[in-house]
Amino acid sequence: MATTETNILNRLYFVAGSMFVFALAVVFKLCVIQFVQGDVYRELAEERTIQNMDIPANRGNVYSVDGSLLATSIPKYDIRIDAIQPKQELFNTLVKPLADSLSRYSGKPLSYHLNKIKKARLDKNRYFLLARDISYSDYIRIRNFPMLNLGAIRGGLIVTQEEKRDHPMGGIAERTIGYEKIDEDGNVTRPGIDGYFGKTYLRGTNGKRLMQKIGNRKWKPIVDYDQVEPQDGYDVYTTIDVNIQDIAHHSLLGQLEKYEADHGCAVVMDVKTGEIKAISNLGRNQSGSYYERLNYAVGESHEPGSTFKVMAFMAALEDKVIDTSTIVDTKNGSKRFYGRTISDSRGHGKISAARALEVSSNIGLATIIDDHYSKQPKKFVNRLKSWKLHNKLGVSLIGEGKPVIPEPGDAIWSKNALPSMAYGYNLRMTPLQTLTFYNAIANDGEMVRPRFINAVKEFDREVKSFDKEVINQKICSDKTLGEIREILKNVVVRGTGQRMYSENFSMAGKTGTARTDYYDFEEWKKDRKYVSSFAGYFPADNPKYSCIVVIHKPSTKVGFYGADVSGPVFKRIAQKIYTETPLIDEVESLEVVDVKIEGQYESFYKTSQLHKTIMPDVVGLPAMDALALLENMGLKVNMRGTGTVKTQSINKGVKVKLNQIIVLGT
Amino acid sequence: MIIFISVLAIIMIASAHSADQKVYEIARLKNEAKELRSAFVDGRSQLMRLKMESSIIKKVVEKGIIISEIPPQKIKVKTQN
Repeated sequence: MATTETNILNRLYFVAGSMFVFALAVVFKLCVIQFVQGDVYRELAEERTIQNMDIPANRGNVYSVDGSLLATSIPKYDIRIDAIQPKQELFNTLVKPLADSLSRYSGKPLSYHLNKIKKARLDKNRYFLLARDISYSDYIRIRNFPMLNLGAIRGGLIVTQEEKRDHPMGGIAERTIGYEKIDEDGNVTRPGIDGYFGKTYLRGTNGKRLMQKIGNRKWKPIVDYDQVEPQDGYDVYTTIDVNIQDIAHHSLLGQLEKYEADHGCAVVMDVKTGEIKAISNLGRNQSGSYYERLNYAVGESHEPGSTFKVMAFMAALEDKVIDTSTIVDTKNGSKRFYGRTISDSRGHGKISAARALEVSSNIGLATIIDDHYSKQPKKFVNRLKSWKLHNKLGVSLIGEGKPVIPEPGDAIWSKNALPSMAYGYNLRMTPLQTLTFYNAIANDGEMVRPRFINAVKEFDREVKSFDKEVINQKICSDKTLGEIREILKNVVVRGTGQRMYSENFSMAGKTGTARTDYYDFEEWKKDRKYVSSFAGYFPADNPKYSCIVVIHKPSTKVGFYGADVSGPVFKRIAQKIYTETPLIDEVESLEVVDVKIEGQYESFYKTSQLHKTIMPDVVGLPAMDALALLENMGLKVNMRGTGTVKTQSINKGVKVKLNQIIVLGT
Repeated sequence: MIIFISVLAIIMIASAHSADQKVYEIARLKNEAKELRSAFVDGRSQLMRLKMESSIIKKVVEKGIIISEIPPQKIKVKTQN
């Protein structure tokens, strides 16, 4: 077909027309975007480049009494490797040195790391974890390992950093220092001091500030003020003494390991103020090592056993139904109460009530309480309640265990309840509650609430300070106090705590060996489980600290008596505090005038002035004085021994020469 | 006139860039401060563990040094301080 001019023109019109329509469409769309959808897009653009961002507040620190850090927030690092980033050649030469360095760091064998990294490369893993939650110094160390030191591009190193709560003391007192954790579902766990005071003091409030994006994930502030100023959290100063805590932790750990026990706790309390100086809670994990598992001292309410005899005995003393010399028949180690047998490890016969407590006789205490209260059990229970033993202490930790003191009419009350309670069964208390009572005995009857914190501070400014809180002004008369303190002292001197006795320092307290998990008694007999405890205070006469040690389920093959299992922990803490406090002798002045020494000096001076060449009488003089005197005269003294001079080889009055030899006998 | 306005524009652009630069610098320094703090706490926690009585006892026991049973005796002279 021939091409004509009209033909070309027609096509041209068509193309131009189409282009015009297309251009119109573009203009139309532009208008739609600009005017119809404009607002939505403008908003979106602003949202992506301008944000009202949170400025996180720094969480406060938790300090010990001497200012050591117990909990603080620091960055922790995760180290990963992009296993396919390094070139093949580089990978082959450096993978072995890297595995070697890693095995030296982690303690695992070289082949373990080598295989893992090689496998990661085969799997094309671009995010292989090498170490999690490591500290700064470890991070610096790992960063310099072969291959990783080549950086992200050549070596494939990936570092992520996150602010984490850290306990510089490690596992020591971890459960009491605590933390605050919020998981993805918004559930909060708040153990310890950090948890309890998190919301009120430690957390602080986040600030807000308008920021604009400037690329590379960096934001710059648009205005030079904050919408909301961030308020950093306050610091919490606890009562925990790092030195006592260290000893409590390690001696408890030692005993738990020795007796292969399930768990245990040790608490040290300042008698006058109720400050908790140390609190250690260790539980066993599956592999048999111990860690701060739960706060047993605060949370675990259990049958206290013999440590409760002190409360029962004091109730009887205070109600004046007995005195310490009342004779009680403990039989030959076995007695029936309302169809049930109560037994002692051995019979003691007829002994005084005080002695019954010293040797921790179950029958003795059950008899005393049953004889005098079986007709009026309410009186006994009311006495215990007047000491607030049925209430929680209200300490500043979440999850305090609830004590149980039964009374007539309760489901767990029976005729046997009363004699059982006398020796610490059929009721429940937490170790801290028992300790608070013993502390009251040590503190002249004043019962104070255990306290974990001293002050809340913002830098140096004190926001709030915490003082002694009294639960009960006076739990009993001074007479009862004096008697019970004498008995507690004697427990260690000649009672069940005899094996703990030390002639260097004094302690007072009560042992406890209670059965636990005995609901199926036949089963229990096959595998005997006990709770061994020791509660008391030291020094015995002027108590400064009270302390309780409770160890659950020690291996009966090694031992189970309170004095053997828990006693040594108590003793070690007492010894530590005793040896740390210097004995102070005070003297008025260093210039003491002693008449005798002054007289001796006078006569020495006179003799030395008088005798320059003539031999003096030195018999009866101290050897040291004679030596000085004669050597000053230029004589050579030959003397053996010490003490006073008895003989002299040159008689007095004889003229002597320089360097003449004289023999003195002592 | 045009020159004046373009000088102003240049100054404005320069100052905006220098502000951005400062943001980067602040971020870098913040990170460094964080790392130093981390190093400090790390060092301090190591020191705390080292100076604890129980770890010292373990270290000196090879040398035959054990913990005393009796406390130190202190003589205090009242007239001197």
